[in-house]
Amino acid sequence: MSNTDQEKWYSKLFDASLPILATLAALIVGAVMLLLLKVDPIEAYKAMWEGAFGSKNALAETLVKATPLLLVGLGICISFRGDVINIGGEGQMIVGAILGTLVGITLVDWSGWIVIPVALLVGFAGGAIWGGIPGVLKAYFNVNEILSTVMMNAIAVQLMNFLLRGPMIDPSQAELASKIPQTARLIDAFRLPRWAPTRLHLGALIAVVLAVLVYILLWRTSWGYRIRAVGQNPHASKYAGIKVKNYVVLALVLSGAFAGLAGAMQVYGVNFRMITDGSASGFTGSAGFNGIVAALFGQLHPIGTIPASILFGALLVGANKMQRVVQVPSALITALNGLVVVFVVSSEIWRRKRQKRRMAATAPGGEGIFPAETEITEKPDNEEVGS
Amino acid sequence: MNKFRLLITGLLLVAVLLGACQAEEAAPVVEEPSVEEEAEPFKVAVVMPSSIADLAFSQSMYDALLTIQEEMGGEEAMEFVYSDGMFVVDDAAAAIRDYAAEGYNLVIAHGSQYGSSLQEIAPDFPETSFAWGTTVDTFGIANIFAYEAASDQGGYVNGVLAASLSESGVLGVVGPIETGDAKLYVDGFVAGAIATVPDIQVNVNYIGSFSDVALAAEAANTHIAAGADVLTGTAQMVVGAIGVAEESGALWFGTQASQTELAPDIVVANQVYRWDVVLNEIIDLIDAGTLGGKSFIIDLANGGEVLEFNPDFELPADVLALAEETIAGITGGAVEIGAPTFEDVFRVAVVMPSAINDLAFSQSMYDALVAIQDWMGGEGAMEFVYSDGMFVVDDAAAAIRDYAAEGFDLVIAHGSQYGSSLQEIAPDFPETSFAWGTTLDTFGIDNIFAYEAASQQGGYVNGVIAASLSESGVLGVVGPIETGDAKLYVDGFAAGAKATVPDIQVNVNYIGSFSDVALAAEAANTHVAAGADGLTGTAQMVVGAIGVAEESDAMWFGTQASQTGLAPANVVANQVYHWEVVLKDIVQSIADGTYGGTSFVIDLANGGEVMDFNSDYEIPAEVLSLAEATIQGIIDGTISINLGD
Amino acid sequence: MISDLLSMTVLVGILTSGIRLATPYLYAAIGETFGQRSGVLNLGVDGQMLLGAFAAFYVAITTGNLWLGVLSAMIIGGLMGLAMAFVTVNLHAEQGISGIGFYLFGLGLSDLLFQKLLGTVETVKGFRKVFIPVLSDLPVVGEIFFRQNILVYIAFALVPIAWFILNKTTLGLKIRAVGENPEAADSLGVSVARIRYFTIILGGTLSGVAGASLSIALLNVFQQNMTSGLGFIAVALVYFGAWRPWGVLAGALLFSLVNSLQLWIQVLGIPIPSDIAVMMPYILTILVLVATVSRVRAPSALTKSFGHDD
Repeated sequence: MSNTDQEKWYSKLFDASLPILATLAALIVGAVMLLLLKVDPIEAYKAMWEGAFGSKNALAETLVKATPLLLVGLGICISFRGDVINIGGEGQMIVGAILGTLVGITLVDWSGWIVIPVALLVGFAGGAIWGGIPGVLKAYFNVNEILSTVMMNAIAVQLMNFLLRGPMIDPSQAELASKIPQTARLIDAFRLPRWAPTRLHLGALIAVVLAVLVYILLWRTSWGYRIRAVGQNPHASKYAGIKVKNYVVLALVLSGAFAGLAGAMQVYGVNFRMITDGSASGFTGSAGFNGIVAALFGQLHPIGTIPASILFGALLVGANKMQRVVQVPSALITALNGLVVVFVVSSEIWRRKRQKRRMAATAPGGEGIFPAETEITEKPDNEEVGS
Repeated sequence: MNKFRLLITGLLLVAVLLGACQAEEAAPVVEEPSVEEEAEPFKVAVVMPSSIADLAFSQSMYDALLTIQEEMGGEEAMEFVYSDGMFVVDDAAAAIRDYAAEGYNLVIAHGSQYGSSLQEIAPDFPETSFAWGTTVDTFGIANIFAYEAASDQGGYVNGVLAASLSESGVLGVVGPIETGDAKLYVDGFVAGAIATVPDIQVNVNYIGSFSDVALAAEAANTHIAAGADVLTGTAQMVVGAIGVAEESGALWFGTQASQTELAPDIVVANQVYRWDVVLNEIIDLIDAGTLGGKSFIIDLANGGEVLEFNPDFELPADVLALAEETIAGITGGAVEIGAPTFEDVFRVAVVMPSAINDLAFSQSMYDALVAIQDWMGGEGAMEFVYSDGMFVVDDAAAAIRDYAAEGFDLVIAHGSQYGSSLQEIAPDFPETSFAWGTTLDTFGIDNIFAYEAASQQGGYVNGVIAASLSESGVLGVVGPIETGDAKLYVDGFAAGAKATVPDIQVNVNYIGSFSDVALAAEAANTHVAAGADGLTGTAQMVVGAIGVAEESDAMWFGTQASQTGLAPANVVANQVYHWEVVLKDIVQSIADGTYGGTSFVIDLANGGEVMDFNSDYEIPAEVLSLAEATIQGIIDGTISINLGD
Repeated sequence: MISDLLSMTVLVGILTSGIRLATPYLYAAIGETFGQRSGVLNLGVDGQMLLGAFAAFYVAITTGNLWLGVLSAMIIGGLMGLAMAFVTVNLHAEQGISGIGFYLFGLGLSDLLFQKLLGTVETVKGFRKVFIPVLSDLPVVGEIFFRQNILVYIAFALVPIAWFILNKTTLGLKIRAVGENPEAADSLGVSVARIRYFTIILGGTLSGVAGASLSIALLNVFQQNMTSGLGFIAVALVYFGAWRPWGVLAGALLFSLVNSLQLWIQVLGIPIPSDIAVMMPYILTILVLVATVSRVRAPSALTKSFGHDD
């Protein structure tokens, strides 16, 4: 490589590691909070590290946590590029999971080879529908997607409560006094294979494969091109003959679909049944929101989202371990989660500045590991884009 | 185009709503099979390890069956056969299988060694009911009943008496093998003795056999030589020890059956097992169509264990009084049988869905653990850690697994949503004991305990009081989601209210969330506007409703924890959960080497649920006595709570 | 049964409940309206509310002074707003996501502070109902509108005030300009940064008061996550109201009235499953918006960050 190429490569590498540096900064603030709680931050963070990476089991847990983040994140990569904000991931995960579970508890006599893919597809479709509704509402009724997705999240939770304590309740629970609102358990044949004795399941691998497929979709198909075009400049796209409305819907349908798949994956890979405590995050673990953050960490690029999800997953898993070891209230973990998000999101500015400098210095290059900057830039700050 | 879409959306919505209403009505109702006419006698077979005349274990069961037969009306109503002396497990298994094949209604395997055989046999005969003792493990098999004796209770009382009567200050115990029912009795005896005379010496000897009479006699001799003037023992070989006691003029305390006739001069008292108390219930259940899946315990409270004093032995009045006080204390729950001790610090971890100070679900468990720590002797004996706010099931699963991997002795998954995870995790850690609530399902896994609250009981009592005190005739309930513990409580409340004032109006509102305090408050406001002057509710968001109760001067009835502090002028009573009642049994079980397989209920009878009245609230005397009568009625079973809607 | 709904008691009950329920939504949504009008989306409202609720409660319970509590809530909310403003205006962070970060931070911190500083759920003597003279004696209307507590009145009073500021003052003009066309505004000498700082901090302050209205006026208690997602609904209502204060009022009232309706439906025993009833406000909000098919555009610069290269 020539000198400037090498510089550019190092420069991009630094950019990629910005989220990590930002995370570290957040953890330093967290250390202050720990000190105020009379906890030794070194001990705490050591526990965090061990909880995320310290053993085969820890690594497996990290990957298990990362899987829904990656899947939701992939959907977000698509929707953001269509300039659509999808904060309905929680509800889409739930609906995808419910429909996927329905397959597994109904078709008990079928083979696992058929049921699992069908269930995952059904989950994908369920999320697609739940994302599609806000999509249609936005495209044809001008209902803002923030409003509709927030509402749909709440509706999905109540739907889950209703179904799980009623028509879909585990028959053995229906007789007991305790009547736990859960479905029947998936039979062994319907469970995603695991790398025993850990909980790492096939879904993690599927998610990575999908990440590659999404990359291909966005950069190698005309659909993907149009989504990106609509996101960058709807007016120009319309004049170019692209049916803008359809692609807005498509962006939400696809991102909803991936969230739905994430939900179904949780059921078939981790929990083997659906259970509710009345909240969305009890089931989703807030993956519907955290997946957005993971996508951002990954520069909104499907391949970048892979390491981003793993790191974010590591953070969450490690933080929970930290809670157990030093016995801080889990509220601290939530606050820490928030700090990391704010810091990482804020670090974007440096990345963008550096990117601008690079762009100014050299002609736009081909696609590297993170082609995002050169081909589809972030919406340039000074451009007005109609809604 | 737009209107068309609107129409479709609207139609779909209507369809969903209609479908939902229908689904609610179409929900299956569990019906009980009708009771069949018994033309034939009820046939019972029992397999026992020793002789029916052993004056101990087997005799107690044989006597019980005779009693039952008489109660049921003689041989036309109930006939029973037995195979005794079945100490060879294989032979016993063959006998059990054979009796089942012969069509006996109930086959009793009276010996803990028969367990694995039963596990094989029972599923082959789904129409036959099996009963197994002494244990509480039903293996999760639907046609096995389990029964056990709380022999430590009578043991405790015997210990109290023995220590009071001993002049030498030395007591001797002769036991078979240090396990099960025997160990339970011995531990209780020791505890009772030490509680009465702290520096008493209790020498314990397990001779390693259930049948070696000569060895038992020799053990007794050894005790006498060491200065004991009071002896006790359990299992059939004690007859040897009793003989020695009589020779040396030492006093004897018996258990399992009355041993007075063996040595009428020196036997002071016996803890007599009355298995018929349990058999009656089992037979009733079989008649009603339930062939198993429940476990029973005989104890001083339910009359399954009776302390019989030898009328020919002169017991000093004050000692007798002490004994009776002790018995009352045990049945009333005030007397602690004493915490087990462990070699190392006993480590407990608990995972909970909400905050430890939620004045409801999680707080009740946290408080219980603090109490247990106290009971066991403080932080040096028991330490516990917790992960609260674990409403993300996945994170909770990781926490549970992690605590188990870290070697905690007991990991409590305090939330019904954690069940699935536990099913996965427990088998991977057979040395760890897990406890799960609120439910009765142990999944048949032998290192999972399950616990539940019979919250409908306190709900019923609250309902009775609320209906009695209500002037407007309208009561309001604020619930989270219509399921689980919440639904149990609410249904109980409604049942109690309606049983007291039949045309009382009980309005129920499930707000769809465990945390939305504002909505809970608004639901309470709605109730008040609809005329309610008494409110109740369950789960942590009720704090909003309590505030409204205070503002509108309505009565409040609490559950799960005491909510009096939030509204001292309006709270009438609370059903307070005392999970420590269950935790004690679990800890004791672990100490005895059983890591699970049993389920526990806290209810009014065992003191796990306590009706706590607000001393600052003036309850009219007749209402108070109605409440107390209701509590008593629920405890002794004369009041049954119908939860069907 | 359904006919029960038409009785006077029930109708009055629904309306009174609706007014009460709407209060925190109003504070938060009006605050958010300013921010969004100037082009900033803040999804962290719920976190600000929780911190504000705790601050107000803690100060009220330790000093006994309720207004001091409100002031503390405003300060805490304002500080959160300041942080958000810095992150948004100076660091150009992606708004939707930074908002979620602030939400999580506020949720966790308020919980943590509650556990460490108070430790147990307790009540406080909050704002009492204030009967407006004469008006509160009016039949029906008096009970519904004029017997609420002071923070309720202020919330409703904010609507015309906000309308006035946004539409009849220079400040409002600047805010709207910054939201529509920041470059043009900038070239006319309006400091986009300063306007946005103002609106975001104002939004945070009002979110804080929203929280206070819960903890020391309407509910008189603090508990972890007591808002239960209220802040997100408030943000959604800004879209519903088409960025107009009166529209936001309509949205808040619609949502809250349907919510109180579903409460009554359950209380009256009308056989709709509880979960379906709870869904009603959310479904209806969407349906109403669909039916009214608004042509109003969002502020053009909403969620777009603005800034010279610095």
